[in-house]
Amino acid sequence: MSGWESYYKNEGDEEEEQEEGLEAGGDYSYSGRDSLIFLVDASRAMFESQDEDELTPFDMSIQCIRSVYTNKIISSNRDLLAVVFYGTKKDKNSVNFKNIYVLQELDNPGVKRVQELDKFKGQEGKKYFEDQIGHGSDYSLSEVLWVCANLFSDVQFKMSHKRIMLFTNEDDPHGDDSAKASRARTKAGDLRDTGIFLDLMHLKKRGGFDTSLFYRDVIIAENEDIGIHFEESSKLEDLLRKVRAKETRKRVLSRLKLKLNKDVTLTVGIYNMVQKAYRPPPVRLYRETNEPVKTKTRTFNVNTGSLLLPSDTKRSQTYSHRQIVLEKEETEELKRFDEPGFILIGFKPLMMLKKHHYLRHSLFVYPEESLINGSSTLFSALLTKCLEKEVMAVCRYTPRRNSPPCFVALVPQEEELDDQKIQVAPPGFQLVFLPYADDKRKVPFTEKVMANPEQVDKMKAIVQKLRFKYRSDSFENPVLQQHFRNMEALALDLMEPEQAVDLTLPKTEVMDKRLGSLVDEFKELVYPPDYNPEGKVTKRKKDDESYGSKRPKVELSEEELKAHVSKGTLGKLTVPALKEACRMYGLKGGLKKQELLDVLTEHFQKA
Amino acid sequence: MARSWDKAAVVLCMDVGLAMSNSFPDEESPFELAKKVMTMFVQRQVFAENKDEVALVLFGTDGTENALAAGDQYQNITVHRHLMCPDFDLLEDIESKIQPGSQQADLLDALIVCMDLIQEETLGKKFEKRHIEVFTDLSSPFSRDQLDIIIHNLKKSGISLQFFLPFPIGKQGGTGDRGDGSLLSDHHGPSFPPKGITEQQKEGIQMVKKVMMSLEGEDGLEEIYSFSEALRQLCVFKKTERRSMPWSCQLTIGSNLSIKIVAYKSITQEKVKKCWTVVDARTLKKEAIQKETVYCLNDDDETEVSKEDTIQGFRYGSDIIPFSKVDEEQMKYKSEGKCFSVLGFCRSSQVHMKYFMGNQVLKVFAAKDDEAAAVALSSLIHALDELDMVAVVRYVYNEKTNPQVGVAFPLIKDAYECLVYIQLPFMEDLRQYMFPSLKNNRKCTPTEAQLSAVDALIDSMSLVQKDEEEGTIEDLFPTSKIPNPQFQRLFQVGSVNPAENFRVLVRQKKATFEEASHQLINHIEQFLDTNETLYFMKSMDCIKAFREEAIQFSEEQRFNNFLKALRDKVEVKQLNHFWEIVVHDGVTLITKDEAPGSSVTTEEAKKFLAPKENANADSAAAFEEGGDVDDLLELI
Repeated sequence: MSGWESYYKNEGDEEEEQEEGLEAGGDYSYSGRDSLIFLVDASRAMFESQDEDELTPFDMSIQCIRSVYTNKIISSNRDLLAVVFYGTKKDKNSVNFKNIYVLQELDNPGVKRVQELDKFKGQEGKKYFEDQIGHGSDYSLSEVLWVCANLFSDVQFKMSHKRIMLFTNEDDPHGDDSAKASRARTKAGDLRDTGIFLDLMHLKKRGGFDTSLFYRDVIIAENEDIGIHFEESSKLEDLLRKVRAKETRKRVLSRLKLKLNKDVTLTVGIYNMVQKAYRPPPVRLYRETNEPVKTKTRTFNVNTGSLLLPSDTKRSQTYSHRQIVLEKEETEELKRFDEPGFILIGFKPLMMLKKHHYLRHSLFVYPEESLINGSSTLFSALLTKCLEKEVMAVCRYTPRRNSPPCFVALVPQEEELDDQKIQVAPPGFQLVFLPYADDKRKVPFTEKVMANPEQVDKMKAIVQKLRFKYRSDSFENPVLQQHFRNMEALALDLMEPEQAVDLTLPKTEVMDKRLGSLVDEFKELVYPPDYNPEGKVTKRKKDDESYGSKRPKVELSEEELKAHVSKGTLGKLTVPALKEACRMYGLKGGLKKQELLDVLTEHFQKA
Repeated sequence: MARSWDKAAVVLCMDVGLAMSNSFPDEESPFELAKKVMTMFVQRQVFAENKDEVALVLFGTDGTENALAAGDQYQNITVHRHLMCPDFDLLEDIESKIQPGSQQADLLDALIVCMDLIQEETLGKKFEKRHIEVFTDLSSPFSRDQLDIIIHNLKKSGISLQFFLPFPIGKQGGTGDRGDGSLLSDHHGPSFPPKGITEQQKEGIQMVKKVMMSLEGEDGLEEIYSFSEALRQLCVFKKTERRSMPWSCQLTIGSNLSIKIVAYKSITQEKVKKCWTVVDARTLKKEAIQKETVYCLNDDDETEVSKEDTIQGFRYGSDIIPFSKVDEEQMKYKSEGKCFSVLGFCRSSQVHMKYFMGNQVLKVFAAKDDEAAAVALSSLIHALDELDMVAVVRYVYNEKTNPQVGVAFPLIKDAYECLVYIQLPFMEDLRQYMFPSLKNNRKCTPTEAQLSAVDALIDSMSLVQKDEEEGTIEDLFPTSKIPNPQFQRLFQVGSVNPAENFRVLVRQKKATFEEASHQLINHIEQFLDTNETLYFMKSMDCIKAFREEAIQFSEEQRFNNFLKALRDKVEVKQLNHFWEIVVHDGVTLITKDEAPGSSVTTEEAKKFLAPKENANADSAAAFEEGGDVDDLLELI
């Protein structure tokens, strides 16, 4: 029966899908869904801001959660999210613990849930909270964690990753009750043992948040986060970055061997840090009920009408009338070169890496201790020395069985933290793909005409005026943003979708203002008075043979044309050539080749 | 699929003059090698089923037959075949009809004949590319008078050139590639000056280099191949295959400043185009197979519904939202047509390579024949270069495509300067993963001994050679000059893994041992002729496979003879590098102990690999020079 399952798949796309899937999601499809509970302290202190203009810690948390919700809708809508308040007056949870209010159980993020979160925003939100839920006087953190654990166990889906993010500005919740504190520690330990991660998103507290009082023992750095300790956040932006960094689980694309020589091997994990985000594919819905329909593709024999199993087909290619037929497996075999992995070829100085030899986006390489012990140590030594000697490792890389090898450079990258101690660059190697000779193209370059120093200086002034600090997350994709705004509007039955701000458009007004008279000064230095760079036909030099000229100017002598007519070979000429000829003799011949041929033939036969 | 706009006109211009038939004993003459390369090219043309047309012009022929011949002008040049689609006749002609001549002819005269032929015979036809491939040993005298005119005309008429010579030329000389540090120079493996070259040939090399430099800048030198290079890499004929389409636009800075530009794809991953079609297993016909797609409800019966009864929708989180194509079209984001607009400038260090994405690199030049635009763009290129800054731009290919944000950085070479454009990620494309620190982690802190071992490894496996005197660094392993083995496999399968093929052949008795070993020896010799490290490794695999199988099949004598012949050959051809590898790996004659049929004692086998006492100083020096290359091989 297994044959039938694959048989419903769309054969043509299958291979590509597989590859794309592997590249994009890592082991996503096999591992289940990620789940995340936002656990928010709702005690009075969370609603007090130190400054009039400042967001309250609670408001900041809600905005941050909302942002994660909308992001998840875009990036991974299968993931499960929940929101739990504690320190509340009312309670709502499956075990009827006091002071714990489950606002949203673990489920996919959706429009309604985002709307619900919006109600808690700002001053109005504060009031709404006080009316609907209210502040409580007491709570037990161990009970809070208990409720969270229950939320996870109520989920029917297979979950790959369970995480709780705790938002609070109280650094010593059970300072006067050591029994409660100790129960909370025990419960946190239980969660850890069942594979639930607990993160502290601590917010600003008067006098500073002291993790040593309580949380240091509760939040024990997990294996994967050794050495990463955040500072407390006083700004939404900082909080967002911390949450973002934790909210997506690292997915390894593949775990591979890196062979330094025939005796020394270590294992590494490959990660994708940049991946083009696409609009999600459309789904087909049944018109009557708007329910999604399933799509099946089947292959059948035209003559007999019988369905064909994959084994009833073969693969074929034709070269000059000869057909080559192979089994599907054999075509796979053709692509096989090496075992998957890296083979070190040698080292080159970093400065030999050519920026303009970019082939495809790079990947990230980090040691993987689970397969070969000592990999991290060897990796660390390699990284240290490559950084010190400013070299990169050139390797032959075979990503998968059945994929051809390519050359890559492993470029060392040192760990970098920002002032909030958030890691902005992880330690490891960037895997940079190097092009083969076949991938490079010769381009017909334009003759070099050098600008003089005065012109260059003027341009430098322009460049300096338009300086900004580039950040990789500065630009949103306007196409995606607009799509999701449209979806949002439709889901909420809004009349008009909100127009997404297109950050990719140049801010011409600001630019013009900053540049002032510089542009005109530059143009005066560079452009002749009558020059119009926008003009479509400002060919300054006539050059018929240049690549740029679209229409090859063809002049045929009368003799040649006559010869073609008499030999009947006029049809060998191209349509533009024929048109040109017609024009030369003032003939009107329509647009089709045959019409052109007819008038020309007629003309010369008469003559 | 051949598209008409991809069509090329190619003239094969072959020297059949007197000297082309000269060769060292046991080696093929340049004449024969040139024929081989041409055969390979024409074969590929025939199989590619494209519409390219090929002509064949011979020079150094006894007779004369060309349109320009008059008096004593353009003598001994024969247009053997006019421009037309290549076919089996052409292959046959190359194989048997072309004979060595006893004359000499001026190479430049022959070039003029070829140019004339191309121009005359492509008149009124649509060819995207016009190209001349010259095969010569450069031993005939030529007159330089016309050189500048020839270069001018080649440029003007957009005819490209490639040269194929019996020897590799030194491709030294810095690339002047300021973007990458001006001290670098790319070499094609360890290049040794061709031996036994005449003064006339030296002059010829200078002339060829000059022509190619003036046509294409330093890249032009890449279009001068040795025959052995050409035989190995089918991709040298790339010229006739792929060309980037120009994309014209205006680079804008604010609303008032625009510069006319033209951009071309300069790097994009080439994939195998021809794909496998699904055919019926019994009839082997694809027409017999049809696919259909059906929709069904998600109920127990999987009730089928017609396509008309379905509508389009999208997931938005947990919600599914019906959204017709018409609505979508109306509401979706619309870019306002093509553009290349500067959003701002920033320090080049802020735009790290790890953010590069997309599937192409564009080179952006000023519009053709527009001096004002060229000066304007040059100002920008040099301003950015001097300030060490880059432009961040919005790029839209046309009104139907989505906008991109990308980086444009300056690239300044001797022959040209341009901006290089590469796409950058949107916020949605980034994944901010964090990884545990490797530094202050006791579990993975390497010891001093481990660090120094890695240090030594890096030194011993250096892929560059530094010349302290000249302050240059030579790349011994320029990966971007190596062809993709996937294409090689498609077009010839055969030399990709000869050692393995050999094993299969002899074991499955698909060929006699004699035949199979003969083929293998041919491959080994071809590899060695390249005198390139990369191919030494392959040769070693072949030799080892040969040795193992010879013992298995009691063909020890065949192997021993081969190895002896190889040792002699190595001496003649100065392949000391290679022999060192053989010695290091201890690949020697098959002894009595290994195979009863052998008469060689262990002692003799050992002696066979011992260095000859009269090893001259030259070869010792050569060995030293390539020292780290050998170390590299030991390690792999």
